[in-house]
Amino acid sequence: MPAETRTPALRTRLLVAVLGPLLAAAILIGVVGATLIADVVRRTNDRVLGGALGAIAETVQVERGEVTLDLPSAAFGMLENTERDNVYYRVAVGPDLLTGYADLPAPDPATLDIDVPRYRFARYRDQAIRIAEVRRALPRIDKPVIVQIAETLDNRRALNRRLLLALLIGEVILVGAAALLLRPALGWSLRPLARLRGAVEIRDRTARPDFSALDAGPLPSELRPLAHAFDRLLAQLDIATSGVRRFTADASHQMRTPLSVLKVQVALARRGAGHERAEALDEIADAVGRLERLVTQLLALARAEEAGVSAPLEAVDLREVAAAVITRQFVQAVEAGIELTLEGAPCVVPGHRTLIFEILSNLIDNGIRYNRPGGTVAVTIIADPSGNAVSVADDGPGIPPIDRETAFERFVRLGSGSGPEGSGLGLAIVRSAAARLNASVAFGTVEKGTTIILHFPQSKA
Amino acid sequence: MRILLIEDDAALARSIGALLRAGGNAVDHVATGEDALSVVAGEPYALVILDVGLPGIDGFTVLETLRRRGERVPVLMLTARDALDDRVRGLDLGADDYLRKPFEPEELEARVRALGRRRGGDPLPVLSVGTLTINRSTGDADIAGRALDLRRRERAVLEALATRAGRVVPRELLIGEVFGFDEPVGGNAIEVHVTRLRGKLAPDGPGIRTVRGVGYMLDAG
Repeated sequence: MPAETRTPALRTRLLVAVLGPLLAAAILIGVVGATLIADVVRRTNDRVLGGALGAIAETVQVERGEVTLDLPSAAFGMLENTERDNVYYRVAVGPDLLTGYADLPAPDPATLDIDVPRYRFARYRDQAIRIAEVRRALPRIDKPVIVQIAETLDNRRALNRRLLLALLIGEVILVGAAALLLRPALGWSLRPLARLRGAVEIRDRTARPDFSALDAGPLPSELRPLAHAFDRLLAQLDIATSGVRRFTADASHQMRTPLSVLKVQVALARRGAGHERAEALDEIADAVGRLERLVTQLLALARAEEAGVSAPLEAVDLREVAAAVITRQFVQAVEAGIELTLEGAPCVVPGHRTLIFEILSNLIDNGIRYNRPGGTVAVTIIADPSGNAVSVADDGPGIPPIDRETAFERFVRLGSGSGPEGSGLGLAIVRSAAARLNASVAFGTVEKGTTIILHFPQSKA
Repeated sequence: MRILLIEDDAALARSIGALLRAGGNAVDHVATGEDALSVVAGEPYALVILDVGLPGIDGFTVLETLRRRGERVPVLMLTARDALDDRVRGLDLGADDYLRKPFEPEELEARVRALGRRRGGDPLPVLSVGTLTINRSTGDADIAGRALDLRRRERAVLEALATRAGRVVPRELLIGEVFGFDEPVGGNAIEVHVTRLRGKLAPDGPGIRTVRGVGYMLDAG
């Protein structure tokens, strides 16, 4: 994770994710609500205004050819309110005023349907007013009779303001409560995460790495995949590190014996003289040789496990590598009284020269060490359509079939300790290197001695 | 002191053997637990040094078997492992001491001497019989301040007799304690060492009596 890009805290993210939309919704509801409130306020007030208009219009009659009316006080009573709005009215027959305020804005009679009240806003005496007006058709009166009633808007505005304020307070309470409750709610819902962290942290404090599954108690369904993924990772780490742990433990264990020899022989060399000292020095040289071989093999094993991971396979001539190994180990073989032979034609396999060299070195070295004087170690290159191979066969005491399974394990030394001193690493190196080359290594079925075959399966190309 | 060394690593066995023999002990070596169990019963070992990591039956099993048979010989375990469990297990199974590899040779020698003294029932490093004083830690012996020049076999015989001063020590037991089983023991080997010792102890030291047909006894006081 790059350190520069600062990721906001989970709390902040959730606050933004929840409060942002909530605020937007509040604004939308506010806008829609304001429109609705204005509409409702207009409709209810218009209904009252319309009622008053109807009551006045009812009383307009024709008596003896004259238009008369009897203004009902109830019509104006309807319009009384706390805001003391001014009420104006006007009844006209054609252009002639019958009663009321002559200068109230008059409509164009042609645009009015008969007996259908119409409402409109207008200005009168520097005030905004709402006018309800209706045109009546009276028998034997050919001029249009227009009845108008108007009120100022204070009541409407006050009602509108009160409703808007209530809406606004409701919204503020909603958003505020959400903002306030979000933090404790987050803390509460993140508590299982804290428990999970606690379970991981306990592992941190234990001296010995613990790779068993985490115990964080019951977890919510969102966290369970995380815990499971963590458990899987732990299991994989366990597999990966157990090999290393066992290896280092065994390696240090393996070094203690030659180190003990060294310490004792150094003490003897210091105390003794002449023959005794010479003997002690020989033992010291042997012990140093053993340690050196052990270290070399440990390094070879580490190399075999690292090599080949990235480098592509190259074409390697098995015979050429085998000849190089034999050349190097010839002196060792002569000293041990072992005959080394190489048979077979040059044969190219995909691999890494270093690894193949290491494998053959170890196999031939084993063949020489675990043999009897006068024995042979035969290296044979086998070219075969199903895959090329190289076999290393000795005619020594051999390995019982029951021990062959464990022979490739690290630090497994076969026999009762009477044989030559080895580290028990040789075949482990062989197996590890062969695995890097995608080659197989197996015991050959022979009556006498030991045969190990390194087999390169035919590549598809 | 007669010691049985059970160690599968040939080089380490040679080294420990040389170290302990130089200190005047007789050391027998076997490489496996099976061999150890077959020889330990027949010989009067003063100490068993047992490596835990043996092929075949391991050191713990050897120790367990020994103790089940009722063998009381002190056992010093050698372990290449660091685990506390191993040490605890070894001691609980009846080991008297343990040493971790790689060990300091001086420490091994000192622990061997200490275990040898306990075996004699006397943990004091200095043994006194009359005018004779033997320092079992350094191997030095003197009579009234006069230092004795003892060969290592003579020292072993003298120590074996001095720990049982005033009692008859059977000849066979003395041979068993002083010589390892792969050392050639002549018919009069013990007699030769005893005669030389008498010469060195005389005239002011305790005398060694021959109990004909039975063994020897160092005069107490």
